[in-house]
Amino acid sequence: MGLGGYLRNLKEAVATIADGLAVTASHLVRKPYTVEYPDRLEGDVRIQDTLPFRYRGILEVDLEICTGCLACERACPIDCIVIDAAKDKAAGGLVMTRFDIDMGKCMYCGLCSEPCPTGAIHHTPEFEGADYSLESLVRRFVKAPAIAYKPKKAGETDPEILPVLERGMRYVGEFASPDAPEKE
Amino acid sequence: MGLSGFEVSIERPTNGGGLATEDMTLSMGPQHPSTHGVLRFVVRADGEVMKEAIPDIGYLHRSIEKIAEKVGWHGFIPYTDRVDYVAAMFCNHAWGMAAEKLGGIEVPKRGEYCRVIADEFCRIMSHLISVGSMAMDIGAFTPFNHAIREREYINDLMEELCGARLTFHYMRIGGVGWDLPPGWSEKAVAFLDRFEPLIDEFDDLISFNKIFTERLVNVAVITPEEAIDYNLVGPNLRGSGVKYDVRKDEPYSIYRDVEFDVPVGRGELGTLGDCFDRYIVRMREMRESCRIIRQCLKQIPDGPVIAKVPRNFKPPAGDTYVRVESARGDQGWYVVSDGTAFPYRCRIRTGSFTAISMIQKVSRNLMLADLIAVIASFDLVAPEIDR
Amino acid sequence: MQEFVDGLIASGGVPAGVPAWVAYLGAMLVFGGVVVFGFVLPIAGVTTWVERRIMARIHSRIGPNRTGPAGFLQWLADGIKNMLKEDIIPTASDAPLFKMAPYVVMVGFVGAFVAIPFAGPLIISDMNVGIVYVTSVTALVVVGILMAGWASNNKWSLLGGIRSAAQIVSYEIPAGLSIFPIVMLTGSLSMQTIIGHQGWAPWDWHVFDNPFATVAFLVFYVSALAEGNRTPFDLPEADSELVAGFATEYSGMRNLLFFMAEWGNLYVIGAIVTTLFLGGWQIPWALADAPVLRTVLQFTTFFLKAYFVGVLVAIWIRWTLPRVRVDQMMTMCWKYLVPIAFVNLIGTAVWMVVFPHGVPLVHYVLAGAAGILTLGFLRRVRYHIKRAKLTRKHLSFNPLSTARVPL
Repeated sequence: MGLGGYLRNLKEAVATIADGLAVTASHLVRKPYTVEYPDRLEGDVRIQDTLPFRYRGILEVDLEICTGCLACERACPIDCIVIDAAKDKAAGGLVMTRFDIDMGKCMYCGLCSEPCPTGAIHHTPEFEGADYSLESLVRRFVKAPAIAYKPKKAGETDPEILPVLERGMRYVGEFASPDAPEKE
Repeated sequence: MGLSGFEVSIERPTNGGGLATEDMTLSMGPQHPSTHGVLRFVVRADGEVMKEAIPDIGYLHRSIEKIAEKVGWHGFIPYTDRVDYVAAMFCNHAWGMAAEKLGGIEVPKRGEYCRVIADEFCRIMSHLISVGSMAMDIGAFTPFNHAIREREYINDLMEELCGARLTFHYMRIGGVGWDLPPGWSEKAVAFLDRFEPLIDEFDDLISFNKIFTERLVNVAVITPEEAIDYNLVGPNLRGSGVKYDVRKDEPYSIYRDVEFDVPVGRGELGTLGDCFDRYIVRMREMRESCRIIRQCLKQIPDGPVIAKVPRNFKPPAGDTYVRVESARGDQGWYVVSDGTAFPYRCRIRTGSFTAISMIQKVSRNLMLADLIAVIASFDLVAPEIDR
Repeated sequence: MQEFVDGLIASGGVPAGVPAWVAYLGAMLVFGGVVVFGFVLPIAGVTTWVERRIMARIHSRIGPNRTGPAGFLQWLADGIKNMLKEDIIPTASDAPLFKMAPYVVMVGFVGAFVAIPFAGPLIISDMNVGIVYVTSVTALVVVGILMAGWASNNKWSLLGGIRSAAQIVSYEIPAGLSIFPIVMLTGSLSMQTIIGHQGWAPWDWHVFDNPFATVAFLVFYVSALAEGNRTPFDLPEADSELVAGFATEYSGMRNLLFFMAEWGNLYVIGAIVTTLFLGGWQIPWALADAPVLRTVLQFTTFFLKAYFVGVLVAIWIRWTLPRVRVDQMMTMCWKYLVPIAFVNLIGTAVWMVVFPHGVPLVHYVLAGAAGILTLGFLRRVRYHIKRAKLTRKHLSFNPLSTARVPL
């Protein structure tokens, strides 16, 4: 390496290092990008409320609109959903005695929420699920034996169930369908 | 020290009557701040200079290929995310393609475009981690943080698209799971407008920095013939000058309809096929991905994004081999079906697995610091190696 | 300080039967204690906070901002945490050496403060070999690091220790060679005399005295960074290669001592550079006559100069540049810095022979050139901000701001 190479090495070193220093200096005057979770955002907004509707957080089951079809239990690859539903003539339909989801096993894939006909089982934007024991990670949704929901052909009229059903159908409607209408 | 299976013979040369020296056997163990994932290298070194670095893999083996035989065609897609969680869309895509080939399903055009947009965003994400970790391993911690900051923006876009930030489960057999939400295209284009000058800034900060180039140039030169012999793929192969890209040479999906270049290493700052070439190929690929995404967002047609696939998908018996150009190269999926709802066998051939087999050859007479640079330049990720 | 004690003895402040050397010893312990516990250790601690906040802004993050106002007490929290940690001494390690190593490093670092001139009259001991004493004492850390690397019984630590020994010992040469031009200019090794030879204005500083002195400043700064194990020369503790290098096996307070020595050493580097090249504590003489006010102003000037050049610039460089490899580090020392340092030495000697009284014009030209280069640098910074398409709402000149970029 002759004198030319030597001096060129020096010059390149100084030039590239100075440029790098300029980039870093330009970062010093930029605002940081950190969202200071768990503090709330401006306007006392929780981070969870800013997440998109499709966000796959902790699973939630709206038992009022669950039809007891067991499609979610079949679809789950990890078998973390356990449902006990039995036909009971006396009560007049399918009675569900157990609907447990083991969130410790769940991998938040969404395979359960896709086949649900009413969107009863859906992901929520909640992601804070840490707790002190494994047992507490099992979400039990059936407090008392409940009758499964029967979707009404003429549309739901019960004012308590209607908003839940609408939300559920909206969640299911987000999934792509082969017969989707032509969009803009 | 747990050298079972790695009994290396320690040389004790006497230098013609002088002081007898002994080689040092180090274990760059499974817990190490720099190896990309849980890898272990048994290094036989003479001071700083290595005689050999033998990789020891298997710490992240999760039997994903066996799980495929249990969970069925649809249920396996979330598991494909975990095959290479740094660039998860490609694995989803490959499994979807394999199942569609076996079942004779055609994906609608809009679905193909959605797939490619997601793939290219995932390529950018993976390359950001790759160049960021490379810079961090070489000692500059700032570019890593900048790369992760940009990756967070793409994570936000993916979150709006499919609901998850790392293990996407976006693609389905027959198309994709969700259509582009309203307003997403504008956000994606706004991100690209923001991101492209930042690639230049990244270059200014670190790529051509004299210290960085001195660490990478002329280190671990792999000739094109060697690269082909050892079965390197992706940016590793292209960094050695071989212009092979599955998207161009065996195009799948809609890659025929978009225009893009395939960057190839040119040995501009040293020898062809050194670590710097592999690094700069990744930087340039990010720019090409931006081009592809812009074209896709303009050309994307209307229509459904998924074809009709029965919930109880039973493709006819047969086998197929599908290749996608993942961020780490040509990922090959050999899927065998026996006509039932569960695949018979699934075998994944990943770029990192063959790259790590080359470390033993390449590491002779390198220094310890160079070993880190080589591992980083091969863009090894442990989940892909061990599956 | 010696005059202060002499004055104290003369005015009868010291009891009659006490010999002078006892008075000196007592004063040394008291002043040394005040300096160490009141200045050095808090500076070393606060520097960690400063470094973490600056590093975070460079990374587009915020940094510690929860413990205390703007996270200012983070270093106290870290210190308390480290003190409460279990003291692990590996059974196979060489226990006496293992325990002694951090203390040797601390001695090497704290010992330099005896000769640092904080202000005109504020120096513990203005030795007539001041600058040589400082460089020798800071070289003691090599012994400590080697002890740490060897005694850990860990091959990675050993590599770190050996690298560090090679690095520090090698970079002593260009550092020493760069001091000599200044010593020639001043004609003395004493710290206060070197400062006294400079003026308060930038063009009166040694760094702008002649072009060789400017290059000597740069060579010395790079060598000092290497001595202090700072990136780009942080091979001994290379995070991604050797876990924590020589300090891998250390936990709790012993670990903290190593890193306190490193951060405090930054201030020592800054202090030496300021003394030799940047005018020390000189202030415009007309600024203050009252001795206390003058001392305070001098102290502030020295502190600001030493902190900015030694600490802030070093932090800035650390978070920009990658790490050099061992053989490149040796190449840089022996093939680049040493020849350049020799050229500086001879050049300064020739300059002094040709221009015995210095050339004020050259001072103004060099200072002006430095100013122009700084302005050019700032323009380049502006170019980067413009290219990233950042507007007013993306920028914040408040270093403690936590306002984030609008989503």
